[in-house]
Amino acid sequence: MPKKTPYRNRIELLQGTLDLLILQTLQWGPQHGYGISQAIRVNSGEVLQVDTGSLYPALHRLERQKAISAEWKISENNQQVKVYRLTANGKKQLANERSRWEQLSEAIGHALNPQKKESEV
Amino acid sequence: MRLRPWSRRRAREAELDAELRSHLEMAVQDRVERGETLEEAEAAVRREFGNAGLIKEVTREMWGWMWLEQILQDVRYGARFLRRAPGFTSVAVLTLALGIGANTAIFSVVDAVLLRALPYRDADRLVTLWEDNRSGNHPRNVTSAANFLELQSQAKSFEEMAAFFDMRLNLTGAGEPVAVPIQVGTTNLFTVLGANAMLGRTFTAEDGEPGHGNVIVLSYGFWQRQFGGARDVIGKTVALDGANVTIIGVMPADFKWFIKENSRSGQPPELWVPTRLRQARGRYLSSVGRLKPGVTLAEAQAELNTIMSRLGQEQPEYNANMGVTLVGVREQLAGEIKTPLLVLLGAVAFVLLIACANVANLMLARAASRSKEIAIRAALGAGGGRIIRQLLTESLLLSLMGGALGVGLAMWGVAALVALSPPNLIGSEQVGVSLPVLGFTLGVSILTGVVFGLLPALEASRTDANEALKETGRGNTRSRRSRRARAAFVVVQIALALVLLVGAGLMVRSFTRLVAVDPGFDPKNLLTLRVQLPARKYKEDPKVVNFYRQATEQLASLPGVRSVSLANYLPFYTGLGARTAFTIEGQPAPAPDKRPSTDVRVTDENYFRTLGIPVLQGRTFTQQEATEDRHTIVISEALARKYFPGENPLGKRIAVTMMENPPMNEIIGVVADVKYDKLDAEAYPMVYWTLPQLTYSEMTLVVRTEGDPLALAAPARRVIQSIDPAQPVADLRTMESWVGESVARARFGTLLLTVFACIALLLASVGIYGVTAYTVTQRTHEIGIRVALGAQASDVLRLIVGHGMRLALIGVAVGVGGALLLTRVLGTLLFGVSPTDLATFISVASVLMLVTFLACYMPARRATKVDPMLALRSE
Repeated sequence: MPKKTPYRNRIELLQGTLDLLILQTLQWGPQHGYGISQAIRVNSGEVLQVDTGSLYPALHRLERQKAISAEWKISENNQQVKVYRLTANGKKQLANERSRWEQLSEAIGHALNPQKKESEV
Repeated sequence: MRLRPWSRRRAREAELDAELRSHLEMAVQDRVERGETLEEAEAAVRREFGNAGLIKEVTREMWGWMWLEQILQDVRYGARFLRRAPGFTSVAVLTLALGIGANTAIFSVVDAVLLRALPYRDADRLVTLWEDNRSGNHPRNVTSAANFLELQSQAKSFEEMAAFFDMRLNLTGAGEPVAVPIQVGTTNLFTVLGANAMLGRTFTAEDGEPGHGNVIVLSYGFWQRQFGGARDVIGKTVALDGANVTIIGVMPADFKWFIKENSRSGQPPELWVPTRLRQARGRYLSSVGRLKPGVTLAEAQAELNTIMSRLGQEQPEYNANMGVTLVGVREQLAGEIKTPLLVLLGAVAFVLLIACANVANLMLARAASRSKEIAIRAALGAGGGRIIRQLLTESLLLSLMGGALGVGLAMWGVAALVALSPPNLIGSEQVGVSLPVLGFTLGVSILTGVVFGLLPALEASRTDANEALKETGRGNTRSRRSRRARAAFVVVQIALALVLLVGAGLMVRSFTRLVAVDPGFDPKNLLTLRVQLPARKYKEDPKVVNFYRQATEQLASLPGVRSVSLANYLPFYTGLGARTAFTIEGQPAPAPDKRPSTDVRVTDENYFRTLGIPVLQGRTFTQQEATEDRHTIVISEALARKYFPGENPLGKRIAVTMMENPPMNEIIGVVADVKYDKLDAEAYPMVYWTLPQLTYSEMTLVVRTEGDPLALAAPARRVIQSIDPAQPVADLRTMESWVGESVARARFGTLLLTVFACIALLLASVGIYGVTAYTVTQRTHEIGIRVALGAQASDVLRLIVGHGMRLALIGVAVGVGGALLLTRVLGTLLFGVSPTDLATFISVASVLMLVTFLACYMPARRATKVDPMLALRSE
């Protein structure tokens, strides 16, 4: 029997990053789940493929944390869609997570290239 | 607000569905716009999208109350499953109810007897105190007032010490005259126990002083029965043995203070009377002490032993080779019932384990037939943990239903237990299915559910969806593993049942040996009646002797009476008898602790004839000897054998220390031994006196009748009351009931253990039957082939029964090993049977093999009727 990695683990792995990407995407305006996944894909230059099994749990979790709110709307194609928007809370969270992410990526960058860091100093 | 109404929940589920659906639609639309056909687009999107069921489930978990939702879902699902299989469900629930019910019933007794808080302040500091009679090998001997006062004044380990003894007195002035069991205690008794009166007060130090009015404290039960619970009894006056006493208090309902060991009345006291101890050497007192905080029992014991050995040096003729035994009060109260109770608790635990194995086997069989359903659930996205949880929920549902039914069974069982139990064995009013008992049952039920549910659940969760959906039900690893598990369960069941059956078998053998013991007299057609003459009214001995002479003569003249006699203590009287030292004329005085000792009975000239005790040598008393003191005595065979070995005791003279300066008495006869205390104890040496030699005001009359002794009960009572109308009569009952009571404890324990062993045997045989029947269904195909290839019915029988018997043999072997280890705990409960009694082991093992054979044979017979064509086509 092949071993399956449970979805839950993958979410946890991506959790912080995916939340950040979702919040960042919503900064440009309200969007539905499919739209968010497409935006992330396009904006990352087709590198990041957001798994549906991670996206919806993340959206529902953020909604519970009141970082985003949701409402049902009619799309251009006359479809019922659930649209998420950033709340004031979410904006604060986005700012926090952005700066944390920047610190983190800077730190990882240093850790990956320590000699370069020395030579610059 | 995490819990929302179910309607909200449903709406949210629908929203999630719609949200995911719109996602899919948009994705398909995008692809179609990019030029794919609708079919291609839909297939690709589904592939990308993954398992929608699992996505939904993981997403729902984000809503925050998934655990509850899942549990409720599991419960709903489990309940639906159990409803769909009513046969399986009812067998499983009944099996568990038997196991859990038996445990609940026994535990409720354990709770009441061994665990519940005692009605005394800081009960763990209370100890009973006995003299350790080392030369008499009697570690819990009653103590004398003189020794008690010494210990009380010298011991530093105790806050306080109180002494008490039980007796009976006649109560008049409150309805019919009654003989009441009472307790006489030092005035600090209630202080030591830390118990207060519910109404009025308990004793103060002045109550024991001479010149103060006599006072009594009532037990709650006596207050209710005799005084109708009237609150104005305080200050009322009644007469105890003709003396006026004032009621000063009533104890609370939960208070009881009755130490059965060495109790002279053998009955819980109905009221308490204060006393002041005087220096006296007769040993008759029980004592209780309260240890100072921080003092251990061992320290106190060491201190008292030191004091006692000093007393032994100072008064060797009286205290040589004496020590002190301290017993924690809980241990003392639980006393004789503790071991049998723990044995029974172990027995019901075994019954429950067998029940668990049965239900686990049922679950395994069910799981096998449900493997497709489980595989589908796994394929639809249920994780392994989720499936285990689902199946465990089902087993917990079963065990909780079993527990609920078990509580019902236990309530009935406890009522039956109390009704069947011998008097004074368990405090019946306190045994019941209480809150702690219910807690225990809940715990046991949950544990049970996990125990029998876990293995089948683990087994089922290992289901490989592909295999299960393809399989035809044979030969895969899964069913091989389940088969091994089922076989193991059968072995365990047989082993457990064997241990229980051996235990029960030993008890039964022991009991039949016990009741077969010759008591030394003929207990049939004997009526007893106890009369206690009040000391105030019958001050002079001749008056007492005269009363009893009149009573025996008038009773003897009743129609249907063969003969009448009396004794201070008849055989199997539940209270404490009289035992004392004696000296033999012409023999050098032995060391004080080596002096011969004997029991003493006071009786008349008709005693041996009335009870049917054979006279071995010499003669018994004449009527003259029974009406005036002629210094003659009759001795028992045991006394003759022990102290006059190889000699003729007739004509020898001994002095029995029942009084100061005891006179020398001539031995005129030797009679056969009588078991006065217990059937399972050696008869102690005995000296028979006549009433004028040693006058007891309390005597038990014994009437040998032609027919049913109880038919003479009313006429006998009338005879006593015609002599003295104020005289109550107690213990108006048959001698056989006394003998029966003496073995009631053993009978009760044997009965219970046998009942549990039979339940175990029943459950185990049902289990074996079930597994064999299941095997037969599983192997129908194989049997069909064998028959098609020419196997005879006997071959098929041998195949199926052989398999069962192999398991039974292994189970019996394991069980014999376990029984050899475990029946040792029965050692103290057995009489005349060794815990490893070969005959019992062999017969139990044979019974078990026979039952297993029958349980296998019935399904095997069905296997022989397999039609090969049908069996082969059924695939």
